[in-house]
Amino acid sequence: MPAALTETHSATDAALATRLACGQAEALDPLYRRHRGLIYRFALLWSGSSAVAADVAQDVFLHLLTHAGDFDPARAPLPSWLLGIARNFVRRRAGIPATDPLGDAAEIPPPGEVRTPETELGAKRDLDRLHRAIAALPPHYRDAVVLVELAERSYAETAAICGCELNTVRSRLARGRALLAQWLDVDREARSAPFVSNPSMKS
Amino acid sequence: MNSDLPELDRRLAALRDAYSAEIPPSATDRAIELAIKRANARGRSRGFGWLPRAERWIAFPLALAASIAMIAFVVRSLTPDTPPSTRDQSLALASARDAFIPLVPAAEIGRTSEAMLIPTRVPRTALAELGWPIDPARAADDVDAELLVGRDGAVLAMRFTR
Repeated sequence: MPAALTETHSATDAALATRLACGQAEALDPLYRRHRGLIYRFALLWSGSSAVAADVAQDVFLHLLTHAGDFDPARAPLPSWLLGIARNFVRRRAGIPATDPLGDAAEIPPPGEVRTPETELGAKRDLDRLHRAIAALPPHYRDAVVLVELAERSYAETAAICGCELNTVRSRLARGRALLAQWLDVDREARSAPFVSNPSMKS
Repeated sequence: MNSDLPELDRRLAALRDAYSAEIPPSATDRAIELAIKRANARGRSRGFGWLPRAERWIAFPLALAASIAMIAFVVRSLTPDTPPSTRDQSLALASARDAFIPLVPAAEIGRTSEAMLIPTRVPRTALAELGWPIDPARAADDVDAELLVGRDGAVLAMRFTR
């Protein structure tokens, strides 16, 4: 690999974003290869659609190409900034506003397709059911579940991406998890106990 | 893992693992490659977009100030001190229209591989200050002009478009 290319691919996210902002479009290539999986998986798990996820991934990196100057490494690392953009794009495609209602809905009907007969067992089917259930969560719960549980972002990063308080992330994650457990009919004993938040949560 | 919902956590971990190798389809890769090529082809012909965001706001005023200074220098050295008539003004503007007035040596313009055209409006009073003949009755009007600006912000030439 030529030295210049090696240097480009080993440069930090912030350095590449700066070069991109200065008009060096080729700096997008290493950034895309570095973060495309994260963005695509987030959109895929959030939307439940590979077509939507592909479109969102493309939109996010084209946005990066033309708006790299908006990235401020002092405020958040690049993956978090890109996830925030992906969150806005995937919500826009779903017709959901970027900001969430202040209150959390008390009653949320379970998605019909998740209620499959108990005989439908098997790991693949379980995963499909879980994926469909996640895609049926209210958007603000879905953000927390996908970012914390699946994209493995910290609470602080998730709060920054969603533009909400850290305690709001904790609360939404706990409620989202509780809804998933209820819809999938797992962990019955835990669900029948008084509500407690997950003690294994990341700080 | 010490979890209140162990079975849900097991399934979430399995889902995370199942999707850990997912990447966008090759069509998305190609779209990004194409976008990079197009951006490179466009080069720096997108106005001041190639400048860092924090510097863009100052680029245009600097270019305009530089152009006025250069025009003043060039025009003062060419125009007589006699008062102009309306006919003189019309003839001067007509001759300047559509023709670029070089503000730097032609050889320097020839060496510039990347330049952009920036539309601007110049008040007739400013033209008067620069030594151009103006009609006092239309002194409040603006004149449309275009600046040819190099990538480094240097104003290379200008022309009047109206």
